[in-house]
Amino acid sequence: MGSWMVPTAYLLGIGWYFATCIILGVVIGRWADAATGFEPVLTLVGITIGLAVAMVGGIRMLLPFMRRFGTGPTE
Amino acid sequence: MKLVIGLAAFVGVLVWLGIGLVVAQGPQPEIIVPAEVITKVGPLNLTNTLITSWVVMAFMILFFWSATRSMKLMPSGIQNFAEAVIGFLVGQVEEIAGEKNGRKFFMVVATIFLFVICNNWFGLMPFFNAFGKHEDVHHHVFHEITAEHPHDLVLGEDGHYIEGDGFGGWIMEGDGGLITAMPRTKAIEFEVFEGETPGEALDRYVVFVAKHFADFEATDEELEHPSAEMVAAAAARLDGNDGRPHILLGDAHAADDHGSAEAAHGLASPTLHQTITGIDFEGAKKFGLVIPLFRGTFSDVNNTLALGIVAFLCIEFWGFQALGFGYLKKFFNLNGVNAFVGILELLSEFIRIISFTFRLFGNIFAGEVLILMLTFLMPFLFVDIIYGLELFVGFIQAAVFALLTLVFAVGAVEHHGDDEHHEGHHGEDAGADAHNVHGAAAAH
Repeated sequence: MGSWMVPTAYLLGIGWYFATCIILGVVIGRWADAATGFEPVLTLVGITIGLAVAMVGGIRMLLPFMRRFGTGPTE
Repeated sequence: MKLVIGLAAFVGVLVWLGIGLVVAQGPQPEIIVPAEVITKVGPLNLTNTLITSWVVMAFMILFFWSATRSMKLMPSGIQNFAEAVIGFLVGQVEEIAGEKNGRKFFMVVATIFLFVICNNWFGLMPFFNAFGKHEDVHHHVFHEITAEHPHDLVLGEDGHYIEGDGFGGWIMEGDGGLITAMPRTKAIEFEVFEGETPGEALDRYVVFVAKHFADFEATDEELEHPSAEMVAAAAARLDGNDGRPHILLGDAHAADDHGSAEAAHGLASPTLHQTITGIDFEGAKKFGLVIPLFRGTFSDVNNTLALGIVAFLCIEFWGFQALGFGYLKKFFNLNGVNAFVGILELLSEFIRIISFTFRLFGNIFAGEVLILMLTFLMPFLFVDIIYGLELFVGFIQAAVFALLTLVFAVGAVEHHGDDEHHEGHHGEDAGADAHNVHGAAAAH
């Protein structure tokens, strides 16, 4: 793999991770709303949890990169 | 001069496209998301994607068996190539995970990479999605209309279809048996509408068959709401002349072997005042959908999910192996805000499976659809470009899957908080890939 290949693959993977977290939050929230009749409360909860998981997971994956390029928090 | 070259290039593209459309246009593809079932083995469905994955496995086993059959100290030929590939992968994995962990992760990561890339590139072979079984769609359509409980639709108590978007039957011209998709064939679709009674659907189907297979004149509007006279005229057209399908009317004994299964579900036509037991296509143009024998393994979400689960299980196993039950401290922590973050991390572990699954499936399925559509719309020129792109996508997706498995594995075996406190430890941390790739830029 070329010098650009590893970071490219890594960042592509992170992009999909963000999308999956948010979409999954919405889908599960919609399903829970339909099942319980609390619409739209559980959809909003699903979006919030999806965003939080995306943020925590994304930051954990991105921190090493940010450090390398000098834009992240230092040790 | 530039203008002449530009004009010549433009004309060349047009001519090339024209030649493609005349001599190499593929059939109109029908995009079907689930993998098609080729046959059943006991209770199990043998799908075309599963068959492809077995062929690829056989190829890989044969390749590495040939490469390692009589190994020499000075490698040449196939052994040389295999050693180059494996050497390259070992180097990459060790660079990211360190020598100790790298050796441990290598088998799984390299297997994932090679399996995914072989499947992705195999899926670009010309015989993929091209030939296969010829499914008798007419039988399915007729059965769906006449069966008491169609599985794609729910029939209400009053005999109306109340759920679902309607059953669609896809029809392609061609011969029975194992066939190659005929160039320039057009797919046509019959749909059962919501709120329609089976009898009304049957009447529409008679007009539909007469229009498409017996040169019966009917507009789209008339196809959706045919009058009683039109149904009668269409039925008269399907009178059993050579080369046309004909209606099997009245008593079930009149049905031949082909129609006998349908005879049991014969249905009264509200406008013809007769029972229709089947439509016989014997001697007429065949009704069918090509079910390809080979289809890209990862255009089936079941296979990407299976691979995602394997990657997940391996990562969790390595985590437990390295840290014992201390591994669970990452997720279950009673220390203030860390408790919340731990739960989010636990969710994140499972979401990775979904993320793995849909990343690979989405990319490969989209590529397959793109190639099939362009083969039909703009054969030759643009398909070549997309094939090049898909070769690249196949490689990149294999690299993404393998690399992310490796990075998550490295993250799983490190002690909690290592990434905060010991970031940059050569080859021992999740971020080491960036460190090593951009080694010169890294400052400690």
